[in-house]
Amino acid sequence: MAGNNVTRNSYVTVTIDGCEIQAPAGEILAVTLFVNGYRTLKYSPRIKEPRGFFCLMGSCQECVVLVDETITPACQKLVQEGIIVKTIKI
Amino acid sequence: MSKVIDDNVQKIDVVVLGAGPAGVAAATIASEHGADVAIIDENISGGGQIYRAPPKEYETHDSFKSPESYEGDRQRNYLSNSKVKTYFNYRVWSISQELVVSTISANGLKSWRPKALILANGALERIIPFPGWTLPGVMGLAACTILLKSQFVLPGRSTVVAGCGPLLMSVAYAIVKAGGNVSAIVDLSSKSEWVRVFPKMLSRPDLLLQGMKWLWKLKNEGIKIYNGYTVTKSEKDNDRLAITIAPFNHSGVNTDPKFQKLVEGECLAIGHGLIPSTEITRLLKAKHKYDLLKGGWVPVIDDEFRTSIPNVFIAGDASGISGAFSAVHKGRIAGLSALRDLNMISLKESKHKINNERNLLNKTENFGQAAAYLMRSRPELIKTITAETIVCRCEDVFRAEIDETIVSGAVDMNQLKAWTRCGMGPCQGRTCADSIEAILTSVVGSRELAGQWTGRAPLRPIPIEQIIGDYSYSDIPIPESAPL
Amino acid sequence: MGIYDIAVIGGGVMGCSTALHISRKKLKTVIIDSGALCREASGTNAGTLTLNMTRAALIPYAIKGWELWNSTEQWLYGDVGTISVNGLSLAFTEREEELLIKRAEARKAMGAPIEIVSSKKAQQLEPGLRQSVRSAAWCPKDGFTSAYLTGHAFRKVLNNEGVQIQEYFKVNKIDNENKYFLICNENGEFIKSKRIVLAGGVWLEYMLSLLNIFIPIKCLINQLIITERVEPVMKTVLSIANGLLSLKQFANGTVLIGGGWQGIGDTERGGVEAIPKNLVGNIRLACHTIPKLRFGRMARVWLGLEAETSDALPIIGNVPGFDDAYVIGSVHSGYTSGPYMGWLLSQFITGKEPDMPLFDPSRLLTQ
Repeated sequence: MAGNNVTRNSYVTVTIDGCEIQAPAGEILAVTLFVNGYRTLKYSPRIKEPRGFFCLMGSCQECVVLVDETITPACQKLVQEGIIVKTIKI
Repeated sequence: MSKVIDDNVQKIDVVVLGAGPAGVAAATIASEHGADVAIIDENISGGGQIYRAPPKEYETHDSFKSPESYEGDRQRNYLSNSKVKTYFNYRVWSISQELVVSTISANGLKSWRPKALILANGALERIIPFPGWTLPGVMGLAACTILLKSQFVLPGRSTVVAGCGPLLMSVAYAIVKAGGNVSAIVDLSSKSEWVRVFPKMLSRPDLLLQGMKWLWKLKNEGIKIYNGYTVTKSEKDNDRLAITIAPFNHSGVNTDPKFQKLVEGECLAIGHGLIPSTEITRLLKAKHKYDLLKGGWVPVIDDEFRTSIPNVFIAGDASGISGAFSAVHKGRIAGLSALRDLNMISLKESKHKINNERNLLNKTENFGQAAAYLMRSRPELIKTITAETIVCRCEDVFRAEIDETIVSGAVDMNQLKAWTRCGMGPCQGRTCADSIEAILTSVVGSRELAGQWTGRAPLRPIPIEQIIGDYSYSDIPIPESAPL
Repeated sequence: MGIYDIAVIGGGVMGCSTALHISRKKLKTVIIDSGALCREASGTNAGTLTLNMTRAALIPYAIKGWELWNSTEQWLYGDVGTISVNGLSLAFTEREEELLIKRAEARKAMGAPIEIVSSKKAQQLEPGLRQSVRSAAWCPKDGFTSAYLTGHAFRKVLNNEGVQIQEYFKVNKIDNENKYFLICNENGEFIKSKRIVLAGGVWLEYMLSLLNIFIPIKCLINQLIITERVEPVMKTVLSIANGLLSLKQFANGTVLIGGGWQGIGDTERGGVEAIPKNLVGNIRLACHTIPKLRFGRMARVWLGLEAETSDALPIIGNVPGFDDAYVIGSVHSGYTSGPYMGWLLSQFITGKEPDMPLFDPSRLLTQ
């Protein structure tokens, strides 16, 4: 998936839905989730449709996940060593 | 770190909201003329969306460099070498009628009271709903650009690129350049529309040439380009998306099945143009007008980029879609106007410098206007919003419910909101307002009659943990209790 | 256009309830509002149906109101999403405990089923509660509606029952020359009615002045905060003994935080903006009460206008000096008792003895 004109020098370990994942330091969490196959991040309120990131700019609020229990838009969060991320099941 | 409410409202000459090209231009010029300036941006560094920087941890190779990345770096360096105080990762959540700017960040709450406020908060992407637009894997063109250019990630093994405007080719080319696969390009604009804007694009031969180079490369890869087509449906097909497209022109969408085509891709990147972001100007109750070729609702401004609110200026795409190059000049004009109104430069100097910028602006605007024409709102597109299509994603409101509410008497946007909950969710209508305005307009007759949603704070959802900080129960200032 | 029997000026819950009950007594009725029905206080309040937070003197009325909101299928023929749950008013300090007991007793004396319970019992009723709570006043007859659905529901039933609805009619003059009232707006349009009911909420002071009657009515600017959807974190309606928190979670997962913290605004401009300090204070109270809230996000803030008289009791009855003009409003927590008070006024207007005493407006005359 990666382009060929960049080198990612350092990695961090994050936990996503119980799995430990290596992600390049500085990557946007929404992107980490996406490239690791976590496309459904939450369910919509009435009809419970699966939703994932949409605008990636912090506007649509579709990409919210739990980061250390706190509701966070994944596109506004950079991965950090040790964060525990959960997709939202409600 | 102890998080506190910074009770002190910091007085300052100028606050600039947004560190994209317009914001950086406004902030730096004001600062160069002696103003005490703070620039605030929710991202980690300047550049806005167009010049969004890759993570500093990444090592970018020379093959990555492009005129865009150079310009982005140049602007970021210019800003950091200036005397402008930068506040990155700060989110503005409210601006009072007295222009007190309230922000929240990992450090808690902080407010400024500027003498002049310059808004450079850019634009949003317009995406007109269609069945299946909410499926994971469907993303905006801007989102796709961020993936490619600042995260170096391909959207998928194959991508369908759809919508209108220059972003379309830019994204398709970027995918191909990164070694990815574009299944199809689905362009709302007919070939004759492109021909119509060609003369305006001649004003920037370098950009025109770049565009033609992209087009040539895409055709060379054998990528099918559909002109005058729109996406009418997206369905999940195992791990891919089956996307139905149909012919589109000024009279609308041709849903005759025999003209429909099916394209497939793992992802769909779609965007129907850019809309100036009016959440701040609506919050401040500035006057707006609807200007189709500027992207839709724009704040009413004078020719020195003053809004109808005293001491509030606006620049860049937020003042009307015209692109990154125009943004710089608009930013400088807004900065100079602010300096003039603060009496920090003479009338003579401001007139002279603004004039220079305006001449430069006029040179760049032509290309921007061509792009804005291609990206304009197309009322006929609401036909793709079928009765069972979700329109308000935050609250799961269907087109059928919206239509029913209009029939039962909701005649303006605010009333429609009260009855359907559209726009009451976390995105405050940023995603669906334009589509719903278009639907309502098709019944009531004009955008002006339909109106806009009243702007409200907070501008973005605020993490409660950040707003409460550390406190004890006795810290809470309790006003007088209610009578028995 | 003929002459109405009754013109109700003000389309909030007071006005709509009065108009509904009056028209059912076969009087030709029109309801007038400067905007849309129930878009002001009645549509923007927290929707709390509370006895814990209601003034002691108004408890009997609130109980009746609570019963009406819980049986809307019988009189409103519509749904405002009424949820009936336990209500708890909480004490976290010794001083609050004293206040709690005093308030509970006053309300109990007026018929409210309120009982003081221990910290343990309070936590049983509300597991999400901060464990350091000392005690609580428990009322099983509590709950809430979705206030914003009120206008839609009233519009439908009023339409169906032949009440003329005149929205976007901003009254700026009321003439009483002939045998009827001439209600005029700024565009020169007018409505004729034999009798009128002023139900203008925070604009009652203005409306009364149109009849040359001067009663000062304070306009409170109440701050309301709603969070983004969160997992279920509470199941009761919560308040604090000092009266400064109202907290509930809707079925859709959003949590509404209220309690009367003030914002900036007035009757001319409406609610203008929140005061950041008050937002922080209000949310801190909420998080102190339900700790899990700290993981959520505040999504929207709005300001609801609420009317208050100088003695904090309502005005319901004849406009002083007028046999054919009535006034209803300025009820603290008026949303709860609105439907019942409208009923009482409709009885009074049609010459019957109201089931419960009204509140004579002339007591508040300043001239």
